[in-house]
Amino acid sequence: MSRLLVRGGLVTLAVLTGLVLIAPVLVIIPMSFSDSSFLEFPPTDWSFRWYENFFSDPSWRASTLSSLKIAVLVTITAVILGTAAAFGLVRGRLRAKAAVAGLVIAPLIVPYVIVGLAVYAAALQVGLTQTTLGFVLVHTALGVPFVTVNVAASLASFDQRLEQAAMSLGASPLTTFLRVTLPIIAPGVAAGALFAFITSWDEVVVSLFLSGPELTTLPVQMWSGVRVAIDPTVTAVSSLLLLFTITAFAALGVARLIRNRRLARSHR
Amino acid sequence: MTTTTELAGAPVRVSGVTKQYRDARALDQVDLDIESGEFITLLGSSGSGKSTLLNIIAGFTDCDAGVVEVDGIDITKTPPHKRGLGMVFQHYALFPHMTVFDNVAFPLRRRRTPKAEMVRLVEEALDIVQLGHLGKRMPQQLSGGQQQRVALARAIVFRPKVLLMDEPLGALDKRLREQLQLEIKRLHRELGITFVFVTHDQEEALAMSDRIALLRDGRIVQIGTPEELYEQPAERYTAEFLGESNLFSGTIVNGVLPYGEHGSIQVRDGSADGAGSVMVRPEHVSVLRPDEQVPVGCNALRGTVREVIYLGSGRRAEVTLPDGTHVVARTPADRRHSRLVPGEPVVVTWAKQHGQVVADGPPADEAAIPAGRAAVPA
Repeated sequence: MSRLLVRGGLVTLAVLTGLVLIAPVLVIIPMSFSDSSFLEFPPTDWSFRWYENFFSDPSWRASTLSSLKIAVLVTITAVILGTAAAFGLVRGRLRAKAAVAGLVIAPLIVPYVIVGLAVYAAALQVGLTQTTLGFVLVHTALGVPFVTVNVAASLASFDQRLEQAAMSLGASPLTTFLRVTLPIIAPGVAAGALFAFITSWDEVVVSLFLSGPELTTLPVQMWSGVRVAIDPTVTAVSSLLLLFTITAFAALGVARLIRNRRLARSHR
Repeated sequence: MTTTTELAGAPVRVSGVTKQYRDARALDQVDLDIESGEFITLLGSSGSGKSTLLNIIAGFTDCDAGVVEVDGIDITKTPPHKRGLGMVFQHYALFPHMTVFDNVAFPLRRRRTPKAEMVRLVEEALDIVQLGHLGKRMPQQLSGGQQQRVALARAIVFRPKVLLMDEPLGALDKRLREQLQLEIKRLHRELGITFVFVTHDQEEALAMSDRIALLRDGRIVQIGTPEELYEQPAERYTAEFLGESNLFSGTIVNGVLPYGEHGSIQVRDGSADGAGSVMVRPEHVSVLRPDEQVPVGCNALRGTVREVIYLGSGRRAEVTLPDGTHVVARTPADRRHSRLVPGEPVVVTWAKQHGQVVADGPPADEAAIPAGRAAVPA
C-alpha cells in the first residue's frame, strides 16, 4: 500500500516537472496561429499569416538556408576532425595527452561570450565576419568536442583485436576502418554528429558577433525578431522547429523499436 | 573437405627473433623451425613471450631483430593483411555487426571471390565446424563455443597455409574446451595445414600437439614431442611445468646421487655425471610397508605418509622424507594406498630407469608456474 503511494507520488512529481518544463514551449504553438501583430496569448483571432510571412519573407528564407548550410558543413568537418582527435587521444602515444584533451574540450568550458568576442576581433582582422567560412570555422570549433567525447567513449570500449582479426583475414587498414571499426563506433559518431549539428543550428551568442546584414543565421534573426522589432513570425518559426524536432525524435524511436523487434524475432 | 592435398600447409621458420619492450626483453634470439602441416604448441606461463612470438608471426608486432619466413619467403616486413595467415583469438573477435555468414564471408570478399563460389565455401566452412544452420544469426546470439567455431570457420575459409591460434579455448569452460580440443585436432587432420597454437595449459599442449615448444622468459627452454618433454625433460623447469614431478637435486657420481645421511638414488643407465636433479614422475613411484621386499633395481627411501587422496581414477599419496622433502606417488588400480594412514612409516620405491637426470637451469620463478598445476592428473 505504502509502495503504491510512493509510486503515485513519484509519477505525479514527474508529470508536474515535465509540465513546468514543456508548458512554456507549448504556449508558443497557439501564439503562432494568432492574427495579432503582437505576441498574444491566448490569441483572440486565428490565422496562418505568420507562417505565410516566414515562407514568403526573403530575409527569413535566407537565414534559414544559411543556418542549414552552415550546420551541415559544420557537422561534416566536426565529425572528421573530432573523430580523428578521438583516435589520437585514445590510440595515440602522445606525451601530453591530458593537455591535448583539455585543448579539444576547451570550447565546452570557455564561456561563449568570451569566444564570441575573441572570434569577432580576429574575424574582423581577416574579413571572415558575415561569411559562411567564418561561421563554419567557429561552429566547428564549438562542435568538435561533442564529437570527440562521443567517439572517444565508443573507441574506449572497442576491442582492437577486431581490427587485428580483419587484417589477418586480408583487409587493408582502410578497409578495416571502413568495414569494421567505423560500423562499430557508428553510434558514437552519429551522436557526435547530431550534437555538432545542433550546436551550430541553434548557436546564438557567438553567431551574434559574426552576423550582419550580409549573413545572418536563423537563431540570430529570431533573437532580433524579438529584441529589435516584435515580429510574431518568431512564434511560427519556433513551432515549425518544435514539430521538426519531435518528428525527428519520434522517427528515431520508431526505428529503434523496429530494430529491437526484429532482433527479438531472430532470437527465436 | 574432400581434397586435403591442395590445402597442404607451409613451413614456418623463425630465426634470431628478438623483441625488447621498454622494461623487459620479451623474446631473446628465438629460433624455431615449424614443419609444413605440423601442429606445434607454444607453451609457457604469462610473460614467457609465447603470445609475442605469435603476434610477430601474425605481423601485429614488429620484432627488433630476426627473420620470419613462411613457405621460404621472408615476411618479416610484410603487413599482416598481406601475410595470408589464419588467426583465431581467445575472445573470438567476431565482427558483432555482421551475421555469422558475413563474418565467414569477410576474408573471401576481401579476395573478391565470385559470389557463387563464396557462398559454397562459406557453407562448406560452416559445415566443417557443424554450424551450417546458423549462418543468419548474429554472433552475440551464439554460445561461447559456437562463437569460437565461427571464428575457426572464418580463419580457414580462405584456405590459409598456416593457422595461428592465441589461447583459443581460454575463455571456455572445461567440458567445452575438451570438446573443442578434439574438433581442432580433427580440423588439423582434415586440412593438413600448419597449426601454431599458443596456450599456458600444459595438459592442453600434451593432448593436442605434434611438438611443444616450452618458452620461459623469452627463450625456448625445450622443444620436442609431448612424450619427449614429459618423459625426458632437459631442464628442471620443463619437469615442473609439465605434469607433476618429484625432484631430488645434488651431484651425480657414477650414476648415483647421494641422498640424505646414508641413502642414495640410482639414476637411469647412461646418464651423465655432474650437478643436477633426478626427476621421478609420481606414476612411477610405489609406496611399500617397511616389511615388504623392495624389488631388485629399485631405489628405496624411508618416510612417513603425509596424506592420501582419492582421485577416482586412482590414489595420490604424499610421503614426507626425513629431510622434509615430499614425494608424491600416484597409483591407478592399487588398493594398497587406501589402507595407508597419515603418520605411518613407509618406503617409497621406483625403478632406477625412471630416474631422469635434468639440468637445474636458471632458478624456477614460483610465480611463473600456474597455480593448480600439480593437481592436474597427468
